[in-house]
Amino acid sequence: MPEHAEDEAKYYDDPEWADIEPIQQADQGPNPLAAIAYTDEYAEAMAYLRAVMARDEKSERVLRLTKDVIEMNPAHYTVWLYRAQVLFATHADLHKELEWLNETASQYQKNYQIWHHRQLIVSRLCPDPASSAAARGPPFPGAGIDVDSLVAKETSFVASMFDKDAKNYHVWSYRQWLVRHFGLWDKGELEFTEASIEKDVRNNSAWNHRWYVVNGKEGSEGVKEEKVREREIAFTKRQIRLAPQNQSPWNYLRGVLRKANLRFSTVQDFCVEFADLSKPEGDDVFSSHALDLLADIYAVDEGRNEQAKRCLLLLKDKYDPIRANYWQYRLEMLDREMGSGIDSHLPEHETRNLTSAVSV
Amino acid sequence: MTSSQENEDDTLDELLKDKARIVELSDDEDEDDSMAGPPFPGNHLKQPRRKRKSKLQPQPQPQRKVLEIPPWIFDTNELFHNDVKTPSRHALDKTAAECLRFLTLLDTQGLPLNSHGLPHLRRKPHADFLRFFIGPLQTGFTAMDASRPWLFYWCIAGLSFLDQDVSEYKERLIETVRPLQNPAGGFGGGHGQYSHCACTYATVLALTAVGGLEVVDRKTMWQWLGTVKQDDGGFRMAVGAEEDIRGAYCAMTIITLLNLPLELPPDASARKAGLTSFTDKLGGIGGGPSNEVHGAYAFCALACLSILDAPHISIPKYLDIDALARWLASTQTTPEGGFAGRPNKLVDACYSHWVGACFALIEAALPGTKDGLWNKAALVRYLLTCGQQTGPQGGMRDKPSARPDGYHTCYSLSGLSAAQNHYWYDSESSTTDAGSGRLLAAFNWQAKRGTAEELEVLKVDEEDVVALIHPVFVLRLEAVEAARQTFEAGGL
Repeated sequence: MPEHAEDEAKYYDDPEWADIEPIQQADQGPNPLAAIAYTDEYAEAMAYLRAVMARDEKSERVLRLTKDVIEMNPAHYTVWLYRAQVLFATHADLHKELEWLNETASQYQKNYQIWHHRQLIVSRLCPDPASSAAARGPPFPGAGIDVDSLVAKETSFVASMFDKDAKNYHVWSYRQWLVRHFGLWDKGELEFTEASIEKDVRNNSAWNHRWYVVNGKEGSEGVKEEKVREREIAFTKRQIRLAPQNQSPWNYLRGVLRKANLRFSTVQDFCVEFADLSKPEGDDVFSSHALDLLADIYAVDEGRNEQAKRCLLLLKDKYDPIRANYWQYRLEMLDREMGSGIDSHLPEHETRNLTSAVSV
Repeated sequence: MTSSQENEDDTLDELLKDKARIVELSDDEDEDDSMAGPPFPGNHLKQPRRKRKSKLQPQPQPQRKVLEIPPWIFDTNELFHNDVKTPSRHALDKTAAECLRFLTLLDTQGLPLNSHGLPHLRRKPHADFLRFFIGPLQTGFTAMDASRPWLFYWCIAGLSFLDQDVSEYKERLIETVRPLQNPAGGFGGGHGQYSHCACTYATVLALTAVGGLEVVDRKTMWQWLGTVKQDDGGFRMAVGAEEDIRGAYCAMTIITLLNLPLELPPDASARKAGLTSFTDKLGGIGGGPSNEVHGAYAFCALACLSILDAPHISIPKYLDIDALARWLASTQTTPEGGFAGRPNKLVDACYSHWVGACFALIEAALPGTKDGLWNKAALVRYLLTCGQQTGPQGGMRDKPSARPDGYHTCYSLSGLSAAQNHYWYDSESSTTDAGSGRLLAAFNWQAKRGTAEELEVLKVDEEDVVALIHPVFVLRLEAVEAARQTFEAGGL
């Protein structure tokens, strides 16, 4: 018997639930650790949830119960997983579920179970977008889902979530899944990343998404294709010029060069725009990332190891002192390579390919 | 004037400009906590809200205080071009501003100072705080109802890191977790909750810390792990839940500590767990294939690899270690000196562990990193000056504007230990137990306290030094050794 005033009981007094014997929380000993003082409401709802789960009940009333628990504790991963099972077992209206998720989004935006749940719902609505191709365009009676409409709603909802938090990790993961699942590679995603980057050139999540959209499609060449590569390099350079001390586009640039199998020295002149060590009146450095990349570039060209060393010393002693130990490590690696004389002819990434294990 | 004196004056001027603003510790949610640490259920919960006073910082006389300002406290942004301002930049600047007065020791918050002028590690208040967090909790903690195992672990492990005797919790913990263990194996967040990799991981670690693993049903645990193991070798967090790198790390920790049989050969698990696809162009690691690189996931991947084999073998085999080293080193922030989880994001004390503890692992795989790849003094300074809650309450926090909690306390202590002590891998020791088939690599770590000279450089006194913590299992070394011995025979 729930230990509270009868007029507070929601399920216990409800004739609809008379057949269910609630399962109270099990004994955790005389002095349990981290014991939470639940509200009577929560304790009661949980007692009924245990009971229905114990008998594997999947019904309309359980949908209401799970919603109740979710509203009291949205971080309760079990109730989300069970709710998904109940939704599917009862052939519930999944569009309505999405609508409910949208409404409560601002409450739950920092909750990540909700994104897995959303993925389950959308997958169930449209398990195989490719085969739903016939359903694209205006829906006809008896047809399946209007895929385009669903996609439009999802991408629009996701975009609105980014207005609240442009870097929400789970939302970006979900968007990646949308791209993959619905094949949105050429459906405005590139433009979306560009808009996000324009809002904040330091949004690393947007850069990551761009990488995925450009390179993630199975079977596509991505930046290995010259036209794509040139476009991406040009785009990245433009962004770097806005904020040369922004790490994200420099990482992106390295990634493009590596994947396209281009030597880093391809962008040497560009780097020098932000780290010119040739001037007699003193170093002109606007970006530690440029210096870092130059160090890699110089290290590859024979006879310019002293230049590489100079870059690393400048980083260590002047421009990036917090990473002094890391730059010191790079200097020691450089000394080692200079000593051996074996690998210094090859571009960094080519050297690594020789030694790294082939992964299946 | 010498140039260093000039620099000090510049900083003072800057600080004095800062001090003209009212500093208010706000109730607003941290704009950065969309991913506040690894996505373990409910870890984003703050303590129940209560009224905060706005704190008007007292305006001191602008004295010429001689402050030793370490070089990295100059925001590197100052050295460079006038980059375009964006929301990220504003957030980064705001955080830097809130930390500067503490980092420079201009404001030591009334805390007792050590012999180097840094605040002491507040051992007793933090221990009291952790005891509070594991005690009876108010209604506001309902959002932690699926994460109570984390509370067990953060508090018990955290207390043990502060050299507190945690044996008093053994019986209570065993009785508490009994109903959390499901008949079909594994632990959930509470009675009636599905078994979950994170809840099971945290429970097993907490039990290990108190020597209470006898309550675990190893056979059903093994069966349950089989239900969340995927064909590709990875692990879902629970049946029907998401699959990501955390699952692999949690599962391998459970399997290894409890010495459960391995179904797949170690190589296959790692490769098929998609660890190779989790690395991206940067060498960093995200939650899933193509996901953004993130410090918390990096630790999960590196620790998982260090369970599968000796780190100098497994890490370079599956990851681009040079790119990884560059990326990890890049996450240390200026001026704060702590770590951020992602590029252009804010410092957060919990990454002191998620990133800070990665270095012992990758340094074991990199030649000649005798001084390490990172700035230990900077991390220590950040944690002691910015991470400690003042007042009798104690506890450690993300950053000065955040409230302390068990999660940040536990992982701040782990980060301190990573900075203050030495950890290395003993490559002479065997990596597999012939008898039981148990993977032994994770048990081959050695550790020792920093020398007096090293502690001097870190500006800590002996009492500020945290206990030795296992680089893979994040428990005291003795606790790990006891678990190793307990289940040496293996079998089910």
